Parts: sequence; C-alpha cells; structure tokens
Amino acid sequence: MTSRASIQVHGLRKIYPGGVEAVRGLDFEVASGEVFGLLGPNGAGKSTTIGMLTTTIVPTSGWARLAGIDVAADPIAARRLSAVVFQDSVVDGGRTGRRNLETHARLWGVPSAVASRRITELAAGFGIGGLLGRPVETYSGGERRRLEIVRALLSQPRVLFLDEPTVGLDPRIRYELLDLIAGLRARADMTILLTTHYLDEAEQLCDRVAIVHAGRIVALDTPAALLAGLGREILEVRLYADAEEGLARLRSHRVAGRDAFVIGSTITVPVHDDSARDTLAAVGDLGLAVAAVTTRPPTLDDVYLQLTGDRLGAAA
Amino acid sequence: MAIATTTATAPPAAIQPVTVPSRHFDAWATLTRRRLALSTRTPREVVIPLLTPVLFALVIAPALSDTVGRFQPGLDYMSFVAIATVGLLVPISCMFAGLGVIIDRRGGGLRDLLAAPIARPLIVFGNLAVAVLLAGLQLVVLVVAAVLRGADFHASVTGIAWFAAAALALAVTMYGAAEALANVMPTQEEYIGAVPAVAIVPWFFAGSLFPISALPAGLGFIAKLLPLTHALALMRYGLIDHRATGLRDIWGMTNPTAMAALSMTVVTLFAIGLTALGLRAFRRASLH
Repeated sequence: MTSRASIQVHGLRKIYPGGVEAVRGLDFEVASGEVFGLLGPNGAGKSTTIGMLTTTIVPTSGWARLAGIDVAADPIAARRLSAVVFQDSVVDGGRTGRRNLETHARLWGVPSAVASRRITELAAGFGIGGLLGRPVETYSGGERRRLEIVRALLSQPRVLFLDEPTVGLDPRIRYELLDLIAGLRARADMTILLTTHYLDEAEQLCDRVAIVHAGRIVALDTPAALLAGLGREILEVRLYADAEEGLARLRSHRVAGRDAFVIGSTITVPVHDDSARDTLAAVGDLGLAVAAVTTRPPTLDDVYLQLTGDRLGAAA
Repeated sequence: MAIATTTATAPPAAIQPVTVPSRHFDAWATLTRRRLALSTRTPREVVIPLLTPVLFALVIAPALSDTVGRFQPGLDYMSFVAIATVGLLVPISCMFAGLGVIIDRRGGGLRDLLAAPIARPLIVFGNLAVAVLLAGLQLVVLVVAAVLRGADFHASVTGIAWFAAAALALAVTMYGAAEALANVMPTQEEYIGAVPAVAIVPWFFAGSLFPISALPAGLGFIAKLLPLTHALALMRYGLIDHRATGLRDIWGMTNPTAMAALSMTVVTLFAIGLTALGLRAFRRASLH
C-alpha cells in the first residue's frame, strides 16, 4: 500500500444478488494527480467498480480508500473528496443549468460566492456560459456532458470519476470532449479515474491503464509499456482457409510466437525481432491461402484482443 | 494474465476535505428547494390532485346533502363530506408526489445526489417536506372552496390543531407509502396503476361518505385498522363533530379527548412506520 496513492483498491469484489460476480478481486493504486484508465468492454465490471468507489454499490469483500479514507467506513467523507461524471445523463432536465450547478455546489458545501465565481469561470471554460439560463432538457447531448463535467469540478474534487464520459456522443463532440478532458490533466492536484471501452481514449488520456475483462484486471501498465509488449509492428494476415490452422502452422515454423492470436479469419502477429517484410515473406513461403495482408503499429486494441482471446481460448 | 504492475509515484497528497462539510439542515433545505422547483414547474402535480376533491366539495357534497339529508342531528352532511374530500385529496396529492421519485431515479439527478457528501435519508426527507407542503396548500384551497359553497365549520384553536395534526400525520403516512411504492415500482406506468388501490380504495371504507357503523361488521373492523379512518374522525372532531361520533364509532369510549389522542397515536404510528418503510425502500433501490 502506498501512502501517496489517492485511490487504493484491494481485493475488491462484488457479487450481485442472483450470483453474478461483476468484479472478481481488483487490486490497484492510483497516485495523486494521475489519470488512470479502466479499459474494458461493456459488462467488464468498470461501472460496478466506480459504483463501489462512490459508495452506491456495497462491495462483497475487499476494501477501497480515497485519499486514505475507507469508502465503506466513512462514506460521507469519501464522497466529500470526489465527484462523478456518470455514463448516462444525470441532471434535472426541467431546471436550468445554473440551478443544477448551484444545487451540486451547495450539497458539496461550496460557499455561495465561491460557487458563483467557479460556475462563471468553468462554464466559460467549457463553452456553456451562454446556456446556463436555459432548462437542461433543451441542451444537446454534448452540452449536457459539458455541464456535468463543470458540475463535477465545482467542488474541486481530489478524485474525479469519469464513467464512460464520451459514450453515445457523435464523433465530433466526442473529440471536442476528449480535448477538454485532456485539459483536466493540467490540474495536478486532481486524480482522475476514467472508465472507457474506447481504446484510443485510454491511450490519449491515461498515464496508466488497467485492462479489465470479466471482472478481473488482465493487464496494468502505461499505454506505452502495454504496447511495447506487442513488438514494433503488427502483421495482420487474413486467410481464405481456417485461421486457427494457419496460426498453428505459423507457430510450428516459428514465424509467429505465443503472442499471435486469431480473430475471425484474421491472424494477428506481433513482430518483435524481424521486420514485417521478413515475416511476410515467411508467411508466403508456407503457401497459406492469403486473402489480405496489412502491417501497422500496435494499438491497445491489439493488447486487449490478445489478452481476452487468450483467456477465452483457455476457458474453452 | 497480468502483463505488468507498476507502482505509481507522485507528490504526496494531504488528506483533508476540500470544502466545508454540508450541515444536515443546509443539505435538507437545498434538497427541499430542488424538489419544490421540480414539483411546481408544471401545474400538473399541483392542480390535478385537486380536481376530484374540489368536484366533491363543490358539486357532489351539496347534492348528497340535498338528497341524503341529515343522518345525524346537528351534523351537516355537506360539511361531513367536505372533510371527507380532505381524506381524498391528501392521499392523491402525496401519491402523485411519488412520481417524482421515479422520474429522479430513471432520468433525473438522483445519482448525483447519491454521490453527494450528505446523509442520504435527507433526500427522502426533502421530498417528504415538499409533498406535505403541497398537500397542505391544496388542502387550504379545498377548505376555502367548501366554505364558499356553504360548508359549516365550527373551528376553535384546539379543533384546528386536531384537524391540522391529523392532516399532517395523514400526509406523512401517505408520502411514506408513496416513497416505498415508487422505489419498488420500476416504471411510472406501473406506479400510476397502483395509485388508486392505495389512495382511493381505502377512502370508501374509512367513513368518508357514511359512518363506519353503517358498514358490515367485518368491513367495519377493517376500517378501524385504516389510518384514514382515524384521520377523518379526528379532522371531523376538530371542525364539525364536537361530540366525536366518528371517534366513538372507532373506540366506543365516552371521553372525546382520550379517543382523539388514541386515534392521533394510531395515525402517528402509521406515519412513522410508513416513513421508515419508505426510507428502507429508498435505500434498497439506491444502494446495490
């Protein structure tokens, strides 16, 4: 356990009534000022983890601390240090943006004069200063999300939870929001825990990423370190024939290593020592029925697919 | 398969709250203002619950008075039914307030309130305060309408106190039921479907239009278990029925004050019990 950590999670587990085990023993720490990503598909357990950290979901076992405060033992103190931007829109649509913000500020104990100043500054900074007098139900999806981020920042939280902050938004608004969220990294006093299933989002925003699959962390490191594990390049070979059989042949001839994997009819081969051209030539020598070949740099997508593919393969 | 785990290193953080803790009263007042703003934004929640009781007070009660006449000497039937309309208005008004709970949960700001550094039961108490306030305002409109139409109330300070206390306890009871129901009903449609069974059906057995002594023995016994029966008898005792005939139908005693105290105790216990039930349902719905 590190005393510098803003978020400490140990053995955190959640089994819902009915026996669904959403989170299966998470362990991680997030340092003060760090942007930490929980990356995984829907149902991986990311939102359940945030729910436990924000004290709306009771852990089955394990513990979590925010700035040293146990979220189960002293939930109000833990909530005082944090704020959440939820996956879905969580606003009073019938009230104006300003009233929504004022209510939040009062509940978090921000003095009125301070709240008023922060609302003006933050709303201007996030481009919604002119909208605050309108009922929120008239806002677009992107405007609502900006309002929710402004709201979360009003209390100057030590820990900010962003639960899938760009999900459901169109691409242009999504990239605008990513830019705004990237700007939050400048706040060195604020720790951010971000959940996402967009791999580019994690790569762009996070200092470290935990890849979550079926309630477990299957990898945790910096995006660069995770990518480095997949070599310098990725060779994708799409076959007309059975890709599993093709991969077995590539492995038996040492063209592909244990980290190569199959998705559908495509074999993904991380290239470590040889060049992609050499690897491609070796593939050609084996006489496989190749439909298409591409080379590209590795992404977190490859890391995730490799890890979860291995697990699913093992389970089968 | 874990690839690697690194330990984060960053400047140490002081473990101090960034803001002054919200005091319970401040938080409750904020939540109450929020709920009031949401509930009074459209006239629906204020006006619709008034429609049926006002119709009763202005049209049906005088008509019944003319046709049924006086069933008890010294007791004006129109005034008798006017009080009954209060027993219709308060439950309907409070049950309508429960809709706000479902809206909050499904598409409103509830989750942000749950993430706030406040005692979560304050959210329920904020909603309760607004439900009681709105029911109280509607009740005043109803009583004024009944008086203008010719209802005959003989109010003393003590009588008004019994009336107000009974109405308040009934409102708290019904909002507790509304909160509990709203937290177990998944949709507004299902909730609205359940409202008549909770808010209206008991009204017919609670001595609203006729004394419970006129009911068959079995139904009369059930009527005595309903908080509405006790609340109506108390409100009538306060404003029109100084001989406490309604209370005597329940308790069979001769001391009106003692019977009033007993009925007040019953309604208060219902208020406490159903509020506790509402809090429990809220906690179960919001904390997984």
